[in-house]
Amino acid sequence: MSLAPASDIVGTKKQSGGLIGLLLVAVPVVLVGWMVIYPIISAVVTTFWQPDASGVVSFTLKTYQFFFADDYSLANLYLTLWTTVLCGVILLVVCLPIALYLRFAKGRLTAYVQGLAIFPLFVPSIVLSYAFIRVLGPNGMLDILLNAAHLPKIRSPYLTPWGPLIGLVWDHIPLTVLILLAGLGAVSDASIEAARDVGAGRIRVLWNIILPRLGNSILVAASFAVLGIFSAFTLPYILGPAAPEMMGPFMQRTFRDLYDAPNAITQAVISFVFCIAFGLFYVRSVVKNQRGRS
Amino acid sequence: MKRRSFMISAGAAAGMTMLPKMAFADANRIDWYTSSDQNITDFWTNIIKPKFEAANPGVTINLVDAGDSAGLQAIEARALAAMAGKQDPQADFFEGAEARLPPGALQAGLYVDFSKENLSNYSKLNPLAADIPQNITYRGSQVLLAFDTTKLAADKAPKTFADLIAWIKANPGQFIYNRPDKGGSGGNFVRRAILEANGRDLSQFKIDNYDATTGEAKLQKGWAILKDLAPSLMDQGAYTSGNTQSIQLLSQGAVTMIPAWSDQSLSAIKQGVLPDSTGLVQLTDLGLPGGFTYNTVPTNGLNKALAIKLQDFILSEEIQSAIITELGGFPGVSWDYVSKELHDKYQNLIPTSIPVFPGGDWDKAVNDGWYRNVAPNVDRTK
Repeated sequence: MSLAPASDIVGTKKQSGGLIGLLLVAVPVVLVGWMVIYPIISAVVTTFWQPDASGVVSFTLKTYQFFFADDYSLANLYLTLWTTVLCGVILLVVCLPIALYLRFAKGRLTAYVQGLAIFPLFVPSIVLSYAFIRVLGPNGMLDILLNAAHLPKIRSPYLTPWGPLIGLVWDHIPLTVLILLAGLGAVSDASIEAARDVGAGRIRVLWNIILPRLGNSILVAASFAVLGIFSAFTLPYILGPAAPEMMGPFMQRTFRDLYDAPNAITQAVISFVFCIAFGLFYVRSVVKNQRGRS
Repeated sequence: MKRRSFMISAGAAAGMTMLPKMAFADANRIDWYTSSDQNITDFWTNIIKPKFEAANPGVTINLVDAGDSAGLQAIEARALAAMAGKQDPQADFFEGAEARLPPGALQAGLYVDFSKENLSNYSKLNPLAADIPQNITYRGSQVLLAFDTTKLAADKAPKTFADLIAWIKANPGQFIYNRPDKGGSGGNFVRRAILEANGRDLSQFKIDNYDATTGEAKLQKGWAILKDLAPSLMDQGAYTSGNTQSIQLLSQGAVTMIPAWSDQSLSAIKQGVLPDSTGLVQLTDLGLPGGFTYNTVPTNGLNKALAIKLQDFILSEEIQSAIITELGGFPGVSWDYVSKELHDKYQNLIPTSIPVFPGGDWDKAVNDGWYRNVAPNVDRTK
């Protein structure tokens, strides 16, 4: 075995070192295949091949028919979709201004704002949930402050669909801000100054210069948020209403309380189908990015 | 190698490293196993073990957490197998056990019959805890009602289920219970409502008598009570997702009353999570369900006599009082045999009956039935 020339590292010589590269990725690829891909395929297969009343295993759609004929299950799916879509939209509305500020503002305050925006990353969701109950729950800190200001009490979002929604938005702010910030790095100061020189206002700069370059990042940020929110467990479990449930707690309950593995897996497969759509967005944009570089 | 067989052999290899290294039972070392939670092991480590070892020089207790019921059953099965082979079971005491398990153990005579062992404290045992003589208790826990005495005077607290329903309806928004599968406090409140709807007749609910049609009919009657109650709960039908969250709402003053585990509420009061002004009350017509924890002693253990002595020791007034003060549990002996001071302090909690609702198929039916029937049928936008 000969040592490869150093220039290989920067890729001047194409098509060499491919084997080493493959070996390097082999471990994660095998792990993903074994621990993720194989269980998914096996799960999907078990939902289609189930024993009937006499114990004979045959092709069936009965758990899917049950899910889509059962108002309770459908209500859970709608709640999950509602939470996911609304969360995604709110996240972009909240995070885009923060990211823009962090990209273009200068000074010490920026560092504090960045620290504050990244802070939720370090708070476990179980801690967040109980803090939420103390602050936004009935007779929580907010109520006490409102009361001190002689304002009426608010209807607490705790144990309503808005509870997990607020928690999830807070929880996903850091990742969304970081992805958008990375995307904004691709917008050069020069192009913005050039636009200003020809008389573009702030809105026009945002709309015609920044957003077109940021589309990909927004898509990636949205995909990450959607994937995380769809599979969220702790926040909907602790902060959400008893019914309808989000898919995470619903699956767990079906599996652990009702010992009903076929229906729990069916719920998982249905969730997976929704998630895969956003996963594909992400993969597509990554591939597009890499093609753009080569 | 097939994936399955690989997994099995890898799992076995990993498991081997966790086995006790050629453990042999020692004379004067009581090998103790539990299925209970960490707070119980802590209680044994900090209270019972030092006291018993001080009282019996040369004797040690080897406390081992078997994890859960399934883990404890594995050790019991080992003792049963050792019995057949006339070998050393390396186990002397099972905490949180059930003599009917593993199947066949009782018939094989694996467990000591305590009625024949002349325990000095045997006569003090709470009659409510009476079970087969191989099961002996030393602590219990029950769901009761915890309430804020600053909003509801202790003497006005409901004493029957009908009173409770009337109080909840008269004070809308002041009561909340947790989802029945997420914690025993709400779970046993729901079960108490089912019992109420079926004439408080415990004999209708046995571990092996659930069937889809008659069982469903019995549960439907309970759902009717709970659905009727929903609009009067906090936020017109909100349900917390666990015992702790209910206690948190009570401590924040968001509600006036919750169902809560006796041990959890007593330790919450002790730790200051709930204020001293928290009142605790049990229904007198039929208590909220709960249960006693049982111990068993294998007949073939090397230290059988010491294990029986240990069981007698934990029924002494000293340990039984500590169960109330340190653990927040119920004593296994009648309340007459704990100190007078404690007896008077907890007078309102002393149960006249502790109903036990069966698990098995009933569990699944109650939990899923509640989600489908009670939880969604509320228009909370009103």
